[in-house]
Amino acid sequence: MASEATIEGARRVPRGVVLFVSVAIFSLIFSISEVSAQEVRSGWEVMESGTEFDLLSAEVHENDIWAFGTGGITIISSDDGVTWSEVLSETSQNLTSSDSNFGAMVVAGNNGTVLLLNDGIWTDLSTDIIGDITDISLTGNNSLVVVSGNTAWTCTINEGGVDWEIVWGDSANSLNSVSFLDSENGLIAGESGLILATNDGGETWDYRDAPGALSEVDIVDIEYFSSIRAYAISEDGHILKSSREGSLAVGFVWSIVEIEREYPAGGSNEWVKGGTEIDYDASSINVLSQSKIMLAGPNGYLSLSKDGGNIVSRQMIPVSNDTSFNAFAMQDGFRGVAVGDGGVILRTENAGSEDFVGFEVADFNDFGQFVDYSKERLMDGLVATAKIVFFGILMGFSLGIILSMLKTSPITLKNVAQTNRYQLLVMVALVPTWAILQVPVLVLRIIRIPIENPLDSTLISYRERSAQISASEPLNIFAIRFIGMTLIVFGVYRILSNLDKISALNLDGWEHIYSPIGAPSAVFWIILGLAIAVLGGIFLSCNGDFSIRDLKVGKAEFSLNPWGIRPLNTIATAYTDIFRNTPLLVQFMFIHFGFELGRRMQEPGLMLFNFEYLQGNANFLTDIFVVYETDPESLAYRRPIGGILEDRAYISAIFALGLNSGAYQCETIRGAVAAIPSGQMEAGRSIGLNYMQSMRLVVMPQAVRICIPPLGNEMVNLVLNSSLAMIIGYAEITRQGKLIVATTFQVFWTWGMVLVSYFLITWTLALFLRYLEERTRIPGLGISGGA
Amino acid sequence: MSEIILSVKDMEKTYVGGVHAVRGVSFEVTEGESLAIIGSSGSGKSTVLRCINRLIEPTKGIVKLKGERINTPASDINDVRSRIGMVFQSFELFAHLRVIDNVSLGLIHVRGMGKEEAESKARNVLERVDMLDRVDAYPGNLSGGQKQRVAIARALAMSPEVMLFDEPTSALDPELIGSVLETIQGLAEEGMTMVVVTHEISFARDVADRVIYMDQGLVAEEGPSSIIDKPETERMKEFLSSIND
Repeated sequence: MASEATIEGARRVPRGVVLFVSVAIFSLIFSISEVSAQEVRSGWEVMESGTEFDLLSAEVHENDIWAFGTGGITIISSDDGVTWSEVLSETSQNLTSSDSNFGAMVVAGNNGTVLLLNDGIWTDLSTDIIGDITDISLTGNNSLVVVSGNTAWTCTINEGGVDWEIVWGDSANSLNSVSFLDSENGLIAGESGLILATNDGGETWDYRDAPGALSEVDIVDIEYFSSIRAYAISEDGHILKSSREGSLAVGFVWSIVEIEREYPAGGSNEWVKGGTEIDYDASSINVLSQSKIMLAGPNGYLSLSKDGGNIVSRQMIPVSNDTSFNAFAMQDGFRGVAVGDGGVILRTENAGSEDFVGFEVADFNDFGQFVDYSKERLMDGLVATAKIVFFGILMGFSLGIILSMLKTSPITLKNVAQTNRYQLLVMVALVPTWAILQVPVLVLRIIRIPIENPLDSTLISYRERSAQISASEPLNIFAIRFIGMTLIVFGVYRILSNLDKISALNLDGWEHIYSPIGAPSAVFWIILGLAIAVLGGIFLSCNGDFSIRDLKVGKAEFSLNPWGIRPLNTIATAYTDIFRNTPLLVQFMFIHFGFELGRRMQEPGLMLFNFEYLQGNANFLTDIFVVYETDPESLAYRRPIGGILEDRAYISAIFALGLNSGAYQCETIRGAVAAIPSGQMEAGRSIGLNYMQSMRLVVMPQAVRICIPPLGNEMVNLVLNSSLAMIIGYAEITRQGKLIVATTFQVFWTWGMVLVSYFLITWTLALFLRYLEERTRIPGLGISGGA
Repeated sequence: MSEIILSVKDMEKTYVGGVHAVRGVSFEVTEGESLAIIGSSGSGKSTVLRCINRLIEPTKGIVKLKGERINTPASDINDVRSRIGMVFQSFELFAHLRVIDNVSLGLIHVRGMGKEEAESKARNVLERVDMLDRVDAYPGNLSGGQKQRVAIARALAMSPEVMLFDEPTSALDPELIGSVLETIQGLAEEGMTMVVVTHEISFARDVADRVIYMDQGLVAEEGPSSIIDKPETERMKEFLSSIND
């Protein structure tokens, strides 16, 4: 009795603790208070331009700000954009683009209009050989490049006059934008993802690769900001970024910016997942610093990103939302103007950021206020962590079970060689078809419609037939050897045909250890080819005797047991070896950035569960994969707002955790299976259960109990390892902690609170596992100290 | 002449590694007969038993159950095993299942019975081995003798045509042996065909209809149970005297 009382006592404590923990978590959630009243003021101010014409371009030149527009309208402000006055125009053509550099300013427009301002003197360079100019860029104070239609021209002013020269006209795609960093290096962007680059001042242009996803999309604006950064924007809202990579200059490698969050105007905290496009049409991009960019577009669109496009905040404007904004002219990173249709000029002194009026400035040195600020982020992180942990455990456990079954599978090459053609037919064709048919059969049986699988009798008769054949016919050694020969030929062919690809990598000596990365498929085929050739060799050596062979090499004696090789075990071992011998952090980065698993899964996934299909078809199962915003009023309309496919980093994190954990769980489960005495399997077989039944009904239930403690350990590890997902930008607790530190600079408090959050999750999990262990304990089995 | 239930002809077994455990053993068991196999350790008794229901595949020889050859790939091994009951030296009860579930597992998953039918049959069988009062216990909480009786019930529940006992009492404390032997004796009296590998000479003498003495993988002496009192070969005499001492 005494011992039973102890058990009861031991169970009661965790229950009380679980209650305490749940109360603690719920009170934390409910204590989130309301945000106080606030007022948000636009960071832009309307300026009187004195014109109703559409302003299409603007430029800062020396101490003045210029704006140009339809009908040749030209206005100037000498007081940082506050007051504007009209300048007598040199032309009545629409002025669409401008540039200022090298102490000169140039403005261009329709019908080949080009006007150059140098030392206070306007020079008319207009020419009738060029049509409407879409963009212009200076390459010196007397040389420039224009794009018009599908041609690019250089213009040089020398003593002899003005030289116009066509430098690009090869492509049918029209050119939209040109930007020069200095007098040599420039970029052109255009229709159908076209990007061109020059490094000789525009004399020759070469194609550069835009990301494949944009091959059908027009790039509307490009800006070559510095020697390490260039940005561009496409008509459908993709932000493109190019950085210098090693010795590769800017412009060679372009990537689409992942938009993590997109905030609506008005300082709201309700952001939406951006995916890869911003929600609005944008027509102009203005780069303020390496990572600070402004966007403008029709329908009153002005926005700012301070981190290269990861977080884009739309800005409130003090004019009608119908206004189309065409260009910026910024004097520095904060002060400048945006110009738009109808003569609208907006001026800002803080890059258009909203002014928050009536907000209490949080004092992060006050712990209460600090917690008030950070708790929501931590809660978001907690939920995000819980999500990847849940799916990671699910995936890891399933994978672990499958792998451990492969590892303990008793099938040897001998069994494979003894397989006859009927068994092959049964395994390859009949059993899978039977299994597919069995699903509806089982479903129908559940609803009480007795139905037999139509393949039942065929399967039985084929099994009998194959048994008869293996009983009556001797081993077909000729066939086995023939297969062996075929395998050798195939394997060797595969090796030889892939060796070239390895030598094409130009590796020397030890550099070859990296060849699996340089030519993955070639190395894969070589390894597989070797395995197939060895397998073929074993089959070729078949003489009907499957016993162990003793070899004597010199004095050493070897015993070879090629027929005892277990192929399924070998496959599983290769998997676990790879995942257990590399660091999880590197696996995270390789899977997400290198292999881009998230992208590879998300794109087909969203294509399968697309918005149109899910309208009306959504159910709780599809919700697991993706949930779309269906409210047309919402900013995120038609965007995924939930489910696994919503976020690439989420997908990658689940897979990295699951694949890694599966390898470890496999070993744990295998160890537990190995700990079950072989007599249990024998006893199961002796009453007529087959191998799988004995495994399922006798061995596994006992093994699972043995492996609850070590598996619990592994699952706790998985929770803790999930913090590594921050490296791929997944917003779990640790990443949220980093963000909180970035805002509040409270290092001790932040990381302390992150620790507490982790402890709450893992401890709850550990208590649950302890409870599970207690519940599933078999009386009288094993040493458990008191039970 | 009653029907021959089990016949073993020229059985040989060489283990991986070359141990020649059984070197040509033949015998027959008729319906209702109980055959005791005795012999010193390593004489191949248990190997013979395991070769019969193919927990170990014999290297050579023919095993027939009711005249039908069972050690060919063509015979359904799981069906064959369900027709041959086996009781192990170390019980091998399924530790995670209650007594009743241990006994009904095979009925449900091999014989395809419903749960209720299987349990009622299991209760009948447990009554025969006098274990009805412990149906809800887990094996870990049973004594050795009780465990072995449950193991017998588990084999018995499948209504086997022949029962194989592999030293059923050698893992038991002396005071627990009696109840198990009584149970086996009861089965023999009911007419169950059985092959018992045992060290209990007195049990072999009292219960077995016939005795086989095995030595070094061969049948050294065979005859009615009376040969235990009058062994003919020197080796069997030595063996018996070493046990009686």
